Amino acid sequence: MVSAGALGILHLDMDCFFAAVEVLKDPSLAGRPVVVGGTGPRGVVASASYEARVFGVRSAMPMTTARRLCPRGVFVAGRFEDYVEVSRSLREILRSVTPLVEPVALDEAYLDVTGSARLLGGGQEIATTLRSRVRHELALDCSVGVARSKLLAKLASKAAKPLVEPSGVTPGPGVVVVEEADEIEFLHRRPVRALPGVGPRTAERLARFGVSTVGDLAAVGVDSLVRLLGAAAGRALHELAWARDARPVVAERETRSIGHEETFPADLHDLAELRQHARRSSVRVAARCRASEVVARTITLKVRFADFSTVTRSRTLARPVRSGAELGDVAVDLLGAVELSMGVRLLGVQASGLSPAEVSGFDQLSFFTDEGASRRGRRDDVELAAEEVRRRFGQSALAPAILGARRERPGPPGSSERR
Amino acid sequence: MKFRTERDGLLEALATASRAASARTAAGSASPSLQLVLHGNQLIVTGADPDLVIEVRTSVAGDADGAVLVPARLLVDIVRSFEPGAVTVTSDEEEARVLSGRAEFSVRVPVAAEVSRLSPAGGEGVSLPARRFAEGLRQVVRAALTDDTRAPQLTGVLMLTTGTGLRLVATDSYRLAFKDLAGMSGPSGGNEVLVPARALAEVQRLVGALADGKESDDTSPLVFRCGELDAAFDLGHVQLTTRLLRGPFPDYERLLPPSYPNSFTAAKEELAAALRRVRLMVRDTKDVTTPVRISFTEGGVELTVLTAETGRASERVDGSYVGEETTIAFNPGYLLDGIDAIRADVVTLEVIDSSKPATVRGEGEDDYRYLLMPVRVS
Repeated sequence: MVSAGALGILHLDMDCFFAAVEVLKDPSLAGRPVVVGGTGPRGVVASASYEARVFGVRSAMPMTTARRLCPRGVFVAGRFEDYVEVSRSLREILRSVTPLVEPVALDEAYLDVTGSARLLGGGQEIATTLRSRVRHELALDCSVGVARSKLLAKLASKAAKPLVEPSGVTPGPGVVVVEEADEIEFLHRRPVRALPGVGPRTAERLARFGVSTVGDLAAVGVDSLVRLLGAAAGRALHELAWARDARPVVAERETRSIGHEETFPADLHDLAELRQHARRSSVRVAARCRASEVVARTITLKVRFADFSTVTRSRTLARPVRSGAELGDVAVDLLGAVELSMGVRLLGVQASGLSPAEVSGFDQLSFFTDEGASRRGRRDDVELAAEEVRRRFGQSALAPAILGARRERPGPPGSSERR
Repeated sequence: MKFRTERDGLLEALATASRAASARTAAGSASPSLQLVLHGNQLIVTGADPDLVIEVRTSVAGDADGAVLVPARLLVDIVRSFEPGAVTVTSDEEEARVLSGRAEFSVRVPVAAEVSRLSPAGGEGVSLPARRFAEGLRQVVRAALTDDTRAPQLTGVLMLTTGTGLRLVATDSYRLAFKDLAGMSGPSGGNEVLVPARALAEVQRLVGALADGKESDDTSPLVFRCGELDAAFDLGHVQLTTRLLRGPFPDYERLLPPSYPNSFTAAKEELAAALRRVRLMVRDTKDVTTPVRISFTEGGVELTVLTAETGRASERVDGSYVGEETTIAFNPGYLLDGIDAIRADVVTLEVIDSSKPATVRGEGEDDYRYLLMPVRVS
């Protein structure tokens, strides 16, 4: 929250977190290209040390590619538990500075130190202290951005990171502060991709429009942006491009929810069609839950009608779910309880009540394969395989038969990942 | 009807019979009843639901023969509330009166006045050594399914005659226990029958109660009779009749792994105590139970329970391990059930991998095995 010009928002991001923890566990790995990720045939890179990044290894890259780029690398499957443990210690350090800690991931958090400033010094001082405490207490490196808003703090922490070039790694400043007066200049130099909400698709659309930096984006009028990207996304990006970000730091323990919404080009009345959309969104949400390694206990369906009135229906389940099919079952059920005759403009599915899959996503296996638990497992496997195909060949390459064979997705879907 | 007796003996008879008159299984009637029948000085208390009948005989000072039906729960509560001493029960068509000390209860007789009956199990009875049989039940009944909505046949224990004796098998599809009782005869003609675990748990309890009272060796009489539809267990003053379950029972022999590559052996009590400790962190609801992760390494195992809500617990247990280093997760309750079932002081846990059945067995205890499936951790 912007408060009287104080540089009170910090974004702390661990450097190559998983890989660094692996080096901590096995010091003989220090200085070597370490790649953490799934070791199976469909595994992807979860984290890579700077030594590995020099070879071009990046997060989310298939492990097979990483092995090709960096044949001398040390490839480890890693233990999620270890990361959770280190992350817990990290959060303790952060919470000793302020209770307003908003973890974004195991290795990343926002802090609002506006209230602590009198006691502990300004944002910059706190950032420097945190960095050295993390160094001393966890033997790990991190980068910290300090600014007036989450947006700028996050961009600043990125700017604080070591620089990776094919020729080698140059240490970064570790802490970057974006003063109020420098905000616009700092922001406008960034690529548009650096803004939250700009994914590859939006970036591509903007590039065709001649927009590649945030400065380019800021120069485009809000009306043109709305025409290009739709009302919500257009306005939101325009605000961000002018460093207007009022998102507060919310002290929460975990990711709050993962959702997916679709706005339809024409209002929908047909229940069967809406059901398909609910299932389709559920599959997306499940995929993102899986990517974030969480399972969900609460499923919320959001329906916006032609007149913009909106209803939400949610259900909390006794056990966490993680497959799109299960999420979809609940979403479709919730849809049945909504009066749809007015025509539906937007449909969204959201998963909340999230917990790490590692600590609550488990299945009691059965001796007999036709039991429910194993069926859940098989559904998961099918979805995982489908996800991989979509990742490689595009979103429309595969869909469950129940979703039909529509090749065009209606309207610009909006995704939300609320933390 | 009229009789006089001591509170303690009456209470025991009523409580035992009422275990077959549970509200859970009583069909239709709001409140299950007990039937009291007096012949001379013998009182027969019968509790019954559609699946199970328990008939208890006890001696009283009879005054006038007769029969009466009384709400089970209420009568047990009334008699239990009395001080030790004499209790007088009288009845006519409308009510039963129960008196003790200066307390007096008049209980209305239920309208639909009849207890359900099972056909008396025919056939020739076989005599079973009660204590050994009950111990076998203790080891096996735990693996049966308790909620019958999913697969009714899994709520039963398979009793079958093998070449060497009687075998008991139960599985709820997540774990499986089987016990060979050498030298015992089972259902006649090499048949196999599926007896509800609930009834067998009662048999086990009754034998235990008898043994406690008598301090005798394995001489208590237990006669097993088996008909087409029902089976009966006769313990002298208590007779229990149960409806048999219909199969098919799973082909359990197929589930037994031919061999295990990895085997961990430890002191039973040490392993069980460590499991009970780390289990304190488990979140256990109807649908989800946090698993305990067991990391097998040379010289011992590390038990870990990790939950999002509560935190974590871990403990190392020393023992000998032969095999590859691996980590496998189990439902801690299921694993403890298996370990607790072992009679030996040394227990062996054999595993294959994180998706295949593991086995718990006792050292030198070849007649009993407990299999359990792991929990898959994503």
